[in-house]
Amino acid sequence: MGDRILLVEDDEPLGSQIVGHLRGAGFDPVWWREGRLLVAGELPDVSLVVLDLMLPGTYGLDMLKALRTFSEVPVLILSARNDTLDKVRALKLGADDYMTKPFWPEELVERVRARLRRPTLQKEQAVVEVGPLRIDLQGHAVQVRGRPVELTRVEFGLLAALARRPQEAVTRQWLVEHVLDPEREGTERTLDVHVSRLRRKLAPVKCVETVWGVGYRLVPGEDA
Amino acid sequence: MKLRLRLALTAVAVTVPTAFALVQVEHSVRRRTTDEVIAESTLAQMQSGGRERCEAAPDTWMVRTRSPRPPWEHDGGGPGEPPSGPGNGGPPRDSPGGKGPFRGRMPPVQLFPFDSQFVSRNAQAPALDDDLREGVRTDGVGVRRYSKEDGAFVQDLLLRMPWEGGPCEYVLARRVEPSNSPEVGLPPLNIWGVPTLILLSAMVVALGPVVQRLRRLTEEVRASSGSHYQQPVTVQGDDEIAELARAFQEAREEIQAQMAHQVAREQTLRDFLANTTHDVMTPLTVLQGHLAAMQQRLRTGESLEPGLVNSAMGEAHYMASLVHNLGAAARLEAGAPQVQHAPVDLNALVSRVLGRHQPIARPRRIALESGVPATTTWVMGDETLLEQAVSNVVLNGIRYGREDGHVAVVLETTRQQTFHLRVIDDGPGIPDDERSRLLERRFRGNAARTRAPQGQGLGLHIVHNVVELHGWTLALAPSDYGGLEVGFTGPLMTPPD
Repeated sequence: MGDRILLVEDDEPLGSQIVGHLRGAGFDPVWWREGRLLVAGELPDVSLVVLDLMLPGTYGLDMLKALRTFSEVPVLILSARNDTLDKVRALKLGADDYMTKPFWPEELVERVRARLRRPTLQKEQAVVEVGPLRIDLQGHAVQVRGRPVELTRVEFGLLAALARRPQEAVTRQWLVEHVLDPEREGTERTLDVHVSRLRRKLAPVKCVETVWGVGYRLVPGEDA
Repeated sequence: MKLRLRLALTAVAVTVPTAFALVQVEHSVRRRTTDEVIAESTLAQMQSGGRERCEAAPDTWMVRTRSPRPPWEHDGGGPGEPPSGPGNGGPPRDSPGGKGPFRGRMPPVQLFPFDSQFVSRNAQAPALDDDLREGVRTDGVGVRRYSKEDGAFVQDLLLRMPWEGGPCEYVLARRVEPSNSPEVGLPPLNIWGVPTLILLSAMVVALGPVVQRLRRLTEEVRASSGSHYQQPVTVQGDDEIAELARAFQEAREEIQAQMAHQVAREQTLRDFLANTTHDVMTPLTVLQGHLAAMQQRLRTGESLEPGLVNSAMGEAHYMASLVHNLGAAARLEAGAPQVQHAPVDLNALVSRVLGRHQPIARPRRIALESGVPATTTWVMGDETLLEQAVSNVVLNGIRYGREDGHVAVVLETTRQQTFHLRVIDDGPGIPDDERSRLLERRFRGNAARTRAPQGQGLGLHIVHNVVELHGWTLALAPSDYGGLEVGFTGPLMTPPD
């Protein structure tokens, strides 16, 4: 079983649906049908809390406030009201994210996953490994399946910029401004030329992906 | 109480005590003057032979003189007689002398002799009390006393004669006034009654037009309020009543403006409700149709078409977006107090918008992509409204996009502390003339949304208003990929921490 998730939701059909979807996505949901003013020690060992703001008994914000006095567990708020004030208040009280009803189950699962994986992304690593790629950011060295690859300064800068944010798209404009030599002609065309050279050098591994309309992204690509 | 009655009563209430007080003052002044006159005449009488007569027969000496006239009294009928009230119908005087308040009623003065021990040889002499004796000793000249005896007013003056010894060293001058003397109290009615009456009637007459104008104003105000403040009131002249009419006129205009505002709001609300019902009912009907078709196929054992399910999902998704838009529209129409101004993380906002639409884009085989800066992009604004604005543009891209198409959201920041958020698609785009019209048109009210197919108008209306509300700029342009590019530009905020 995956991470344990506490769901606080008073609505029976919605609650059972969310439990079903979380379970289907590999999580281990615990369902509370009403809000409680928690004190330290009462919170089960969970990795994340999904909290409905409109609860009978205890208002969701009060529960969040009480929870935050002793726990840093990520909290995802569910809100039916399209009211900014509620969201701002919830975020101020320490909520990590919120979702406005109605939402698709897929959306919820995706958001839960994103929240659970966030902490590991925040570390700045000296060496990034993406699939068969190994990029030594400090040593300016790149290996594909253990084989060193010779890259120009611009090509390495390009790869390093993508490697610092693996799986995320980096915009072309950002790459032009931060990677290309400002002295020389720095246009998006030049960028594309550098990218195609980089791809050739990394072949047959296809890990520099074009993101439509945005730019490029580093993925753990396998050879074609 | 009516205005006239109140005024009359006030006049009486002021006049009577004033008249009374004046009479009292006058009376007291007169009494003192009388005292002096009596004292002087007594002294003169005693010096011109009175002393000798008194000392010759102290047992019987007693003078009854006609009261000396005070200086303000003249011979009756003579010129300079003080004016008395015209139409005088007062009671007849028993004195033959005149008509003045005190004339002829001056009773005679009796003189009684006393020796240095304040003993009189005259048996008829009244007793002297200690106050008088002490008073005359201390004063040395004379002392006065006013008292009442058998209901009559007695005025005693004990005078020391300018000689020592003898049975007539002191002389008591006594004047007795009958008890019915009207000296104390109100002066006779004919003196003050007539002027007061004249004054009162003058006031009442002068008040007539005022009361009339007030009555007319009251009627006009009643008529105006009866006509929902349509009917104006007349403002005449430049006095306080005109001022009152003017004040009412202003109040009436204010009330009318408020009422017009209220009516307009109610009309907007009614239109809003009617349009909303219409807008929600249409996708709901489509959704019901899809569900019914699915049930039909399940019953007959046919396989479900993915297109049908996707379309049903699309309708539900569209309805959710519509309801969000209606909420946003309501808040935008309510104006500034409903709008929050707080730090908004645009990176997270973009991620939420993509997450919301991904389940709809995927079955349509439309790729949703996004690129945001590595660090959080903070702006000030209303999170819900901003998210709804971006969401509307993205959803439009998905709804009108072709299969295997793309919608991308690109967020970039500049060194000038501004952000640039672009939503790009490779859909059919909007023709040039239409696009410029979309921006030129002021997206006014609810009309905009019913004009465009499937509520697209409301979505753009909200985008436009939200951008305007935040002081950002909105640009619609053809994208490099043949579709539409919608750009939001605005200032960054310094990070909240």
